[in-house]
Amino acid sequence: MAQNLRATGRTLLLPITNAALAAGIFIADTITDLEIAFPAFYTAVVLLSVGFCKKNSIVFVGAGCIALTLLSDLLTVNTGVSEAGVINTAISLLAITSTTFLAIKIQSAKVTALEARAQLAHVARVTTLGELAASIAHEVNQPLAAAVINGNASLEWLAARPPNYQEARRAIARLVNDAHRASHIIAQVRALTKGSNPQKGPLDINETILATVTLVDGEIQRSQVSLQTQLSRDVPIIEGDRIQLQQVILNLILNAIEAMNLIATGPRNLVVSSQKNDLNDVLISVQDSGAGIAPESRDRLFNAFYTTKPGGMGMGLAISRSIVENHSGRIWAVRNSPRGSVFQFTLPIDRGLRA
Amino acid sequence: MTTSNDQAVVFVIDDDPHIREALDSLIRSIRLNVQTFASTDEFLNFKRPDAPGCIVLDVRLPGLNGLDFHCHLKKLNFDLPVIFITGHGDVPMSVRAIKAGAIEFLTKPFRHQDLVDAIFAGIERDQCRRRAIAAVSELQRRFILLTGRERQIMQKVVDGGPNKKIAAELKLSEFTVKVHRSHVMQKMKAKSVVDLVRMADKLQAGGKTA
Repeated sequence: MAQNLRATGRTLLLPITNAALAAGIFIADTITDLEIAFPAFYTAVVLLSVGFCKKNSIVFVGAGCIALTLLSDLLTVNTGVSEAGVINTAISLLAITSTTFLAIKIQSAKVTALEARAQLAHVARVTTLGELAASIAHEVNQPLAAAVINGNASLEWLAARPPNYQEARRAIARLVNDAHRASHIIAQVRALTKGSNPQKGPLDINETILATVTLVDGEIQRSQVSLQTQLSRDVPIIEGDRIQLQQVILNLILNAIEAMNLIATGPRNLVVSSQKNDLNDVLISVQDSGAGIAPESRDRLFNAFYTTKPGGMGMGLAISRSIVENHSGRIWAVRNSPRGSVFQFTLPIDRGLRA
Repeated sequence: MTTSNDQAVVFVIDDDPHIREALDSLIRSIRLNVQTFASTDEFLNFKRPDAPGCIVLDVRLPGLNGLDFHCHLKKLNFDLPVIFITGHGDVPMSVRAIKAGAIEFLTKPFRHQDLVDAIFAGIERDQCRRRAIAAVSELQRRFILLTGRERQIMQKVVDGGPNKKIAAELKLSEFTVKVHRSHVMQKMKAKSVVDLVRMADKLQAGGKTA
């Protein structure tokens, strides 16, 4: 099976470039005179490290740059120690130190921003679902309540001595009307979730997965999960609604992280992969080493309002299923070994998608 | 139920016209008068008949919600009993409603017997309240007929003073006190001193609330 570690490759590129840059500066600094303030360029190395380093590593990079500066000063002995050279070195060291300080500040701001974004995504997911469910419940409940009252009223009119048929008939007519209104509201809700307006278009599922993974970066770091993406190069462009499918992937990843947060010990491995299967489908799977699925809940996992999480809505997987089915795909869950679960869904490559 | 149920009126306040229509029919079918309103303002502007009644109030209303409206009514000294109906009741909401003195808090769709029971309980509570008010105003009407001296002597009798002591305090003969005292008993239609004491209590309580 042809798989490449595209995401991993991308994350390794930056540190290597940065190390090469530091080495280049070191060589240039060592072969030039002390009067030339080459070490000032180390500030670029520190700034670049913000892109891929944590706070402590930035301090380490800054300290490394200072060490390299002093080392090349020792190696550049041929011209002797001049006053201008010492001042230049001091200025360079000061520049590196203050840049490191700024880089740390930038890094904490970035982490805060990421956390805020992840939290926002989570809150938005929960509140929109909650509000939607509450308002649908109210809209359906009103006509049902009216129907019950009208039914009781007609019974009362018929039980009267003498029975009042005219009033009873009117109440029954209203009851029928109420039932129609309730079913009309349900039809509207169905149209809404069936996605009468999904924006289907050509879609690179690997790119969609990577974009979604970026969205939950903060959540992954905070939960100390190690993420691996195994995206097959064979996966062709398919047709689908990017936002909706992103929602499905996001949902499965957040569920996986939550499942792994439930366990105290053991590795927390999250694997998101894509591949083409024998049935001419694209198969996307999200694999975790979390608490796994209890056998009794396996059959009901994708039912609306079914949840095993305290405070859960029981909507995430139900919505995911309706989105996947709307793309003529299938979604299911299996046990992972040695532990955890694998959620998989398929998207057909060239059938049933063209509207 | 008593004959006065014939004039009892149930006021329904709900913004959903379908619920209003259904409740209108249901309440008429149990032989009660009903008036429906789409908003609290519509209800407040309505000239209420002088009859016992109760309010069936939806919690979710445009503008002021039903629970706040109930508090507002109490501030206006509007004493009609309230029955809440709601599409999405939770426990804190119902606790708040019952603490504020509501008869019942029903979640839609409710069992119709629960609503009917609550409506009759509300009307009965309102009838008791109206009877108590009527009794106090009758006593007030009688009390007004007493002369100044008679009111003075009634107060002293109620406080438990014997005729001799009252006569001494007011510098009257014991015979004059006896005459005034029997006038008080007649005018207040009191059967005994104990009866008179009870009337005085009611007058005092009624005077405070009025």
